[in-house]
Amino acid sequence: MNVTTTRTDRHAVVALQGEVDLQTSPQVRKELLQCLGEAFHVFVDLAGVTYIDSSGVASLVEAFQLARKNGTRFALVGVSDAALRVLQLARLDRVFAIFPSLDDAIAAGR
Amino acid sequence: MGQDFAASRDIGHTVRRGLVRIAEAVEAEAASVFLSDDETGEIVCHACAGPVDISGLRLPAGTGIVGKTIAEGRARLVRDVRRNPDFQEAVDARTGFVTRSILCAPMTAAGRCLGAIEVVNKRAGRLFGAADSRLLEALGASAALAVSHARLTAAMIKQEAVRRELELAAEIQRGMLPPNLDDVPLWGINLPARAVSGDFFDILPLGGGKFAFSIGDVSGKGINAALLMAKTSSLFRCLAKTMESPGRLLAAVNAELCETGMMGMFVTMAAGVFDQASGTVLLASAGHEPAVVHRAGAGGFEVLPPHAPPLGIAADLIGPAVPEDRLALGDGCLYLFTDGLTECALGDGGMLGSDGVRDLIERYADLQPAQRVAALAARVSRPDAAVRDDLTLLLVGHRAR
Repeated sequence: MNVTTTRTDRHAVVALQGEVDLQTSPQVRKELLQCLGEAFHVFVDLAGVTYIDSSGVASLVEAFQLARKNGTRFALVGVSDAALRVLQLARLDRVFAIFPSLDDAIAAGR
Repeated sequence: MGQDFAASRDIGHTVRRGLVRIAEAVEAEAASVFLSDDETGEIVCHACAGPVDISGLRLPAGTGIVGKTIAEGRARLVRDVRRNPDFQEAVDARTGFVTRSILCAPMTAAGRCLGAIEVVNKRAGRLFGAADSRLLEALGASAALAVSHARLTAAMIKQEAVRRELELAAEIQRGMLPPNLDDVPLWGINLPARAVSGDFFDILPLGGGKFAFSIGDVSGKGINAALLMAKTSSLFRCLAKTMESPGRLLAAVNAELCETGMMGMFVTMAAGVFDQASGTVLLASAGHEPAVVHRAGAGGFEVLPPHAPPLGIAADLIGPAVPEDRLALGDGCLYLFTDGLTECALGDGGMLGSDGVRDLIERYADLQPAQRVAALAARVSRPDAAVRDDLTLLLVGHRAR
C-alpha cells in the first residue's frame, strides 16, 4: 500500500493506493491524524484502493470522529468500487461525506 | 564457578557469590562486575567483593579501564594504574582504597558485550599474569551467558504473566456467551482468532416462546476490542430484558457507547426477537454483515442488509431507533455471522465471500444445529482457508430434526 500526501495552504489530500488492511492501516491512521492535527481540511483519495478491511475503515472512522471534534472538514473523494462496496455494506456511506472527485469536494466547501 | 553462573537466574546473588570465588582464584584483593545500562548508556557496578563497596557506582560509557574493556570487548591487564591514562583516580579518592593493578575481562555473549569483570591488586604485592587473564576471560564469558540467560528468563516470566492475564480475560469472556440448549431454537458459536475475542453473540429467553438475540463485531482486535465487546454485550443483556424493540435497543446501545466513546472503535451489531410460536423475527442491524434467511427447496435465500451504520461512531448518526425488518421464517432459518466468515481467505488468495457463504449454508442445511455451525466453522479453519479474524455464527429458528 502507498500513502501519498499533498498539502496546499488550505487542505491536505491523503491518497491511498493498494490494500488497506491490518498491516497497513496503522500507517494510514498516523498520516490522517497528523494531517488533522495541522488543522487542514483533510480529503482522503480512495481511487486507488483495491481492498479495505475493518481496520482500514476504523482508521477512517477515527479521523472522521477527530475532525468532527475539532470542527475540521473531512471527506472521502474518488472512492474506488472496491472501497465503496465495503462502506455501503456497513451503511458507512451515510457517515462519511463522499465526493466523486477532489474538485467536487473543494467546490462543496466554498 | 561457570556452572554457578550458567544455572543461575538470580543475577545479583550469584554474581556476588561468584565474585568472592573469582577473587580467591586469581588471588585479588577486590573484584567487581559492571554491566552496561541500555537505557542510560552508562556502565553500572552491579556487585563487588573486597574491602570497599562500590556497588551502584555509575560511570559514563567508555570511562575508566572497565569502560574501555566493555567498549573494545577485549581483556585489559594494567600492572601499574598510575601510568595508565584511563584509570579513574576519583573512585579511590572517594573510597580510600589504593588501586595498584587491574585485570579486566569483557562479558560477551552472542557477540554482544554486556559488561566486564574486574579484579584489583594481586595479593602479596605480586602481579596478575597471562594465566589470570585467561581464567578471567573464561569466567567473563560464562558470566555473560548467565546474565543473558537471566534476562531472557525475566522476559519470559513477564510474557507468561501477560499470557495468564489474557487467559483469565478469555475465561470471563467465554462466561459471557450463552449456553446452547437443545430445546432452544437458536444456536451460536464464537471462535476467537486470538486469546480474546472482539465478537460476541447472545441468546436470551424472554418467556412465552420468545427469544432476544444479538451478534456483534467490535472493530480491531486484542484486549481493547475484547473490553468493548464485554461492554456492548452487557448493555444488550441488560436492555433486552426491558426493551421489546431491537431497533430502539440498538439506538440505546449507540447512545451509551458514544457517551464514553473510544475514538476509532465501533461495533457492527444486529439484534432481534424471535417468536417461536408464530415463526417470526423482528430484526435490526447497525452496519453488520447482511443476515441471510435460507428456506429449503424453492424458497432459496433472502438477504437482509443493515439499515443503519455501526454503533459507537457518533450519537446523532442513529435516530431514536434503527429501522427493523419483520420476517416470517416459516420453515427457514436465519443465519447471522461476522465478517470472519465472509472474509476468510481461501487457498487461491480469494475470500469466501457472501456467495461462498450461501453455498455452504445450502450444503449443510440438513445438519443438526450443533453440527451445522461446526461444519460452517470447520470450513473456514481448513488448511486451504486461514482463520484470520474472530468468527461468530448464530442460527435463529433452526429446526432440529
